Amino acid sequence: MADDIDMEKPAEKVTVNNDCVMKSEKMFSLKRWNAVAMWSWDVECEICAICRVQVMDACLRCQAENRNDKEQEECVVIWGECNHSFHNCCMKLWVKQNNRCPLCQQEWSVQRIGK
Amino acid sequence: MTHILNIDICYRMSLKPKRVDFVTTWADLKETVKGVVTLGNVPHTVWHNRFSDVYSLCVAYPEPLAEKLYQETKKFLEDHVKSLLIQVNGSSEEQLLTVYYSLWQQYSQGMDYLHRLYSYLNTQHIKKQKATDAELLYGTLSYESPEQMKEIGELGLDLWKKHMIEPLKGDLLRLLLGAIHCDRTGQSLYNEKSSTIQGVIQSLVSVEEYKKKNTLELYETVFESPFLEATGEYYRQEASRLLQECTISLYMEKVLQRRDEEDLRSRKFLHPSSYGKVRSECEQRMVADHLVAIHNECPAMVQQELQQDLRNAFALLKSIPGGLTVLVSHFMEHIKQQGLRAVANLSGENIATQFVEGMLGVHSKYKEMTNVVFANDQLFSSALDMACASVVNHRLNTKQPCKSPELLAKYCDSLLKKSTKGGSDTEVEDKLAQCITVFKYIDDKDIFQKFYARMLAKRLIHQQSQSMDAEEAMINRLKQACGYEFTNKLHRMFTDMSVSSDLNNKFSSYLQNKDRIELGLNFSIYVLQAGAWPLGQSCPTDFAVPQELEKSVQRFEDFYREQFNGRKLAWLHHLSQGELKLNYLKKPYIITMQTFQMAMLLMFENTDSMTCRELMEATKLNSDHFQKYVQSLVESKLLAVSGGTGEVFEPSTVISLNMDYNNKRTKFRITAAVQKETVQETEQTHSSIDEDRKLYLQATIVRIMKSRKILRHNVLIQEVLSQSKARFAPSISLIKKCVETLIDKQYLERTPNSTDEYSYVA
Repeated sequence: MADDIDMEKPAEKVTVNNDCVMKSEKMFSLKRWNAVAMWSWDVECEICAICRVQVMDACLRCQAENRNDKEQEECVVIWGECNHSFHNCCMKLWVKQNNRCPLCQQEWSVQRIGK
Repeated sequence: MTHILNIDICYRMSLKPKRVDFVTTWADLKETVKGVVTLGNVPHTVWHNRFSDVYSLCVAYPEPLAEKLYQETKKFLEDHVKSLLIQVNGSSEEQLLTVYYSLWQQYSQGMDYLHRLYSYLNTQHIKKQKATDAELLYGTLSYESPEQMKEIGELGLDLWKKHMIEPLKGDLLRLLLGAIHCDRTGQSLYNEKSSTIQGVIQSLVSVEEYKKKNTLELYETVFESPFLEATGEYYRQEASRLLQECTISLYMEKVLQRRDEEDLRSRKFLHPSSYGKVRSECEQRMVADHLVAIHNECPAMVQQELQQDLRNAFALLKSIPGGLTVLVSHFMEHIKQQGLRAVANLSGENIATQFVEGMLGVHSKYKEMTNVVFANDQLFSSALDMACASVVNHRLNTKQPCKSPELLAKYCDSLLKKSTKGGSDTEVEDKLAQCITVFKYIDDKDIFQKFYARMLAKRLIHQQSQSMDAEEAMINRLKQACGYEFTNKLHRMFTDMSVSSDLNNKFSSYLQNKDRIELGLNFSIYVLQAGAWPLGQSCPTDFAVPQELEKSVQRFEDFYREQFNGRKLAWLHHLSQGELKLNYLKKPYIITMQTFQMAMLLMFENTDSMTCRELMEATKLNSDHFQKYVQSLVESKLLAVSGGTGEVFEPSTVISLNMDYNNKRTKFRITAAVQKETVQETEQTHSSIDEDRKLYLQATIVRIMKSRKILRHNVLIQEVLSQSKARFAPSISLIKKCVETLIDKQYLERTPNSTDEYSYVA
């Protein structure tokens, strides 16, 4: 239904209006919804191959330094063009020694950085 | 004073050495000496003249007469002391100590003056001959060489020792012991003043005050050691007499009294070096010698909690090496029994509350006792801790895990949850703070953590927390008790809540800005961080999102993608809930329910009844979830089973909307039934703990091996045990299993030349 938002915008407005009109006739009306969702990094492998810690957790170094939560939030994930992903902190140190992906040995170039 | 004296001498005479007639000068001097040592009247001028006489003799021409003066003085003093001895011996038995003491006072005072009169001799002639302190200390010289000249004061005291104390010591000792014995029994034999007794005893010390070392030798040999022996004998008899007369309770009372009296007596009569010895002699004879008798009484004292007896027993036994062990172990066993009685075999609704409050009751009672009765002695506090730990970690069945961590977590949950019965905020805060007392005793802290995390997750997601401040305070308490790593995930769960609230605000302004998009309902969301929450990372069943919610899902995903980078969202519909308004009944109802319940009801918008098969296909829920949620709706009477019992839902069972539904309340929730923790979940929690422990141990082993490279088996086991102690107590076999796993995974290998050594594979 919402594949193309721009196209459907006018139509939606109509639907909303219809809802309002029909509300009194409907048997059920939804007042409120408290949804729950879980986010995770969109990665192929859940473990950082450099520090062997789950990418959802802060990397080993960040954990060992016992930083507070704020700082650990900064410990994000980085994806290479090869689509392999690691902790950004781990990769920063890695590329200083060897500018290749630790998993596939391709030259490392950043595809995106998690946020 | 000396200065003025010297000037005086200068005026009177020349300091130049001159011829002196020894006999006449000594005759004069001797008279004065006699006056001085008997504390007779010596006029000022005479004193001054004699002072210079000593000088003249010492520097006499052609040869100094110091040596001769010394010998004559010595002879005079010797005679004098001998005559005093005759005087003492002449006195009656009951007067002897008094006479001795008054002569000693006179003599020692006199010697003090005489020493000053002879100060020229002392400083110029004798000091020179004397060995240096260093020589004395290192013992290169024998101190008591007979030819050596002593300073006059020392000479006098030495003569007193030789010619007074030596011949008299037997009598002195006998009379002193007699006098002190009388003091003990409260009788009085010869009516000496205590100052006399004290003075006589002190004379044995003072007489050796010039000595450089072993100054107490005379006191110790002549008086102290026989005195201690007599004391011991006296209290030996006293102890057996008391034991025959009275109970142990009364005995301890009396012994303490006797000991304190003897302490005072020591202070009244003896040299300070003896205080401790006398006390320990008393304790030896009255306590240590009867340790068994006292120890035999300990179980009864402890069991009946006779505070006064316990206090006395503690006071007596603590000075005996190892004396407290029996009492301490009975105390510990008693607390353990009391504790088990309070918390084992609980039954009923609120087992968790009974357990924690029962345990706290026992703890605070015996903490108080340790404090008040046992003076917070370290042995007793650690006995209390050991007893509490063994109660808390007690297992009825060794095969099953201990229930305490779970019960404590439940208790915390009951305090932190919204409820109607909860006390005031401060009461709840106090109770939460006390939970830490029990928490510290728990061995399996990881199990507590697991249950706590699960319950916290439920409270947060289902909005059941009484107060976010209380939640945060409790997490901080746990952090303080167990460290950052322990509460890391709890903290992250907690922060997800405030992050989500920000996100909701951003989302509504996002909707506003996008041409005032309406979602058709009041939408809010919790976005949780995977890994921090004790939840699966996806919804455990398929689910067809009701059309009414689709837009919200879609819009939010768009928004989220715009906000963040590289993240994916998984909707946990089984945890979400909403408010549904029912318009088809006599009055409108607004019901808070789970999303799955909502989805089922929404299917009845256009039909009044359908089969289970139809409903299940429409919602796409799997069988387990379908059964559970449809049942909850039937139980709440919103749905009805046509012609069925509502126990089993066959695909063909027909479900219909209950059009006659009636409830006094128009706004309520029906989420409770499905949110309740099930036995299955509890079991899952336990089995996930086993998994976590393996992972934790593996990580610990790798960490240790990475830093140590090569380790022997036993050392590795010890390291692992000590590092995981704060979290749980792993069994050796589990550690071994983990080592095996790591060898299989090629993290470790056995070193080739040893059977029990591992090395780290980089």
